Amino acid sequence: MELRYFIIRRLLLMIPTLIGLTIIVFVLMWSLPHTFLASAFINPKAPNRAQAILTAENQLGLNQGIVLAYLHYLGNTLTGNWGYMTLTTPIKFDGTVLSGIGLFFPNTIQLVIFAAILSILIAIPLGTYIGARPNSIADHSGRIFSLSFYAIPVFVLAVVFQVIFGKGVIAGNPVGIFPISGTFSISAINVISPPSWLVSGVGGVVLSQPTHLIIFDSLIHGDYALAGNAFMHIVLPVLVLTLSLLAGILRFLRASMVDAANSEYIKTARSKGVPENIVVKLHMRRNALIPTITVLGLLFASLLGGVVLIEDVFDYPGIGYLALSTILSGSIFGVLGTTFLFGIILITANLLVDITYAILDPRIRY
Amino acid sequence: MIEETALRSNRTMEPKKHSRLENSAATFRLFLKNRLAMVGMIITLVYFAIAIADTVYPQWLGVSNLSTALNFVPGHIANTAQPSPPRFNGSWWYWFGTTYSTIPILPVMLAALRIDLAYTVLIVFLGMGIGVILGSAAGYFGGILDEIMMRVTDIFFSLPFFVFALAIVYVLGFSFDNVVLALIIIWWPTYARLSRGLALETKSFKYVEASRASGASNFKILFGHIIPNVLSPVYVQISLDLGSIIQLFASIFFLIGSFAQSTYPIEIGYMISGGESYLSEGLWWPVIIPSLFLLVFTVAVNLMGDGLRDVLDPKLRR
Repeated sequence: MELRYFIIRRLLLMIPTLIGLTIIVFVLMWSLPHTFLASAFINPKAPNRAQAILTAENQLGLNQGIVLAYLHYLGNTLTGNWGYMTLTTPIKFDGTVLSGIGLFFPNTIQLVIFAAILSILIAIPLGTYIGARPNSIADHSGRIFSLSFYAIPVFVLAVVFQVIFGKGVIAGNPVGIFPISGTFSISAINVISPPSWLVSGVGGVVLSQPTHLIIFDSLIHGDYALAGNAFMHIVLPVLVLTLSLLAGILRFLRASMVDAANSEYIKTARSKGVPENIVVKLHMRRNALIPTITVLGLLFASLLGGVVLIEDVFDYPGIGYLALSTILSGSIFGVLGTTFLFGIILITANLLVDITYAILDPRIRY
Repeated sequence: MIEETALRSNRTMEPKKHSRLENSAATFRLFLKNRLAMVGMIITLVYFAIAIADTVYPQWLGVSNLSTALNFVPGHIANTAQPSPPRFNGSWWYWFGTTYSTIPILPVMLAALRIDLAYTVLIVFLGMGIGVILGSAAGYFGGILDEIMMRVTDIFFSLPFFVFALAIVYVLGFSFDNVVLALIIIWWPTYARLSRGLALETKSFKYVEASRASGASNFKILFGHIIPNVLSPVYVQISLDLGSIIQLFASIFFLIGSFAQSTYPIEIGYMISGGESYLSEGLWWPVIIPSLFLLVFTVAVNLMGDGLRDVLDPKLRR
């Protein structure tokens, strides 16, 4: 089957999963008291509160039975009417759920992009190297490394890195050079006349134009000092995220390299005199990557959990920190919105994983 | 050819109990040969022994009624004495030093282990029970049941499990029981997927056909033949999951602990968050020692799980 048809089929298969996700989030909502739902949906400072609650009840379909209410929920989700949230701890925010997500999402994208690229760039060559030499010293140290970073709780890693490499945490620490919280220092901006591409969003959060990713935007506009400052801020969270992701990829890649090494086609390739590095790179690694890619989806799910913990430790204003704030501030539509968003991210990531899988392995075109 | 058939029929005529026992003894001998896996198993057993001892005879730790006596509120650490460093002369209580409000780390950590392990085992085994029964039934009966099962597990696999667990805990209200419920809800599909695949494989075996031909009911085949044969890969998954679940459990309490406004019973992730603010003063032990305690357990169950997989999966026996 052609790749095109595979992708179309895979996109169609996403529909039941998306419906399932909305059903689960809807059930979470529906299990709460309905009077509470209507009043949580609206802006608490709305001028005519009683009228606004009535409107919200209609918008949510609270009096129309579970089926119609689900359809209302679906409609609200699709039209971007995700409700209102007032956050107090640790993030302070007052606005619609969607606008809050718009503010904090770019920061997380920045974090995940760097961590994913870095861990793949390190894991593939390293996994190939140690997987091709089973039971060597390199292999043993690689296994100890990946097992210990796989087993160490990610929040402990974050806290320890923050203390060892954080600026000003321990006085006189020569390696403590990285800022420990936030996305950039306010001192890196000329506060009196800020550049025109930095705009103030809802709740005083600074948004950069055009991509909202502060490192890339400051590079686009040629503000290298700010780019450097913002970069230093993400070094520690990216490092922790990379290490935890790297450990997982390395474990699977090593195991599947060893499996591939024992197969017939490797013996054939060796016996017909193919040079060893071609055997490793073309025959062994290419086949070992296929099972590794299937677990990338699962690893990505735990990466999203890690994002919540890491953003909490580093006070990093991303969606993980936002999700935590919605829970701690008791904002139900914030909780539902962020959960739904995380689901969408994971479904998209799984789609990309499957397509990569199909490109790498021409047999998987079912 | 005829001889081979005769041999085979001979083998099936052997008393079944005997051969199964012999088989598991051989498996166990193989497992004993793997030193790393043995170390992992011994460490795991020691952890469980401590947790059981805590439950049966709590006086040995000298820490009773943790939740009220210790008044452990990570968010409010002002105006209390500094933690004292580990010291090995004197009472074993203070071997690993103290943490917030002069709580001795070692006995409290051992007491907290009971809570962590009990809930972890509860989550893993309930999740396993639900998953294995639903998954094997789906694989065995096939058809529409199987199709529904697959779609449902697909949906659960595309949920970001940590965020989803937090959301469930929020909706149900924060308590130990609800954390357990949330983690079971996110974890059973792993077992369902695993046992469904194995049940599909098992149902085509001759002895299942034979038992159906001799008039066994679906119920009897499912519980007598399919599920027992599905279990050995499930054991591997259980031992690996003990490590993942204890960490998820601790992570949730770590997050809650950073913002706690009232006291909760002691749990290891919660203890770590209680020591977090001391790290910047160079006082490392309130965080590092409970973390190492958690780390050692996770490494041990992983080593044990890897060893189990090597002996239980005949394809890997070389």
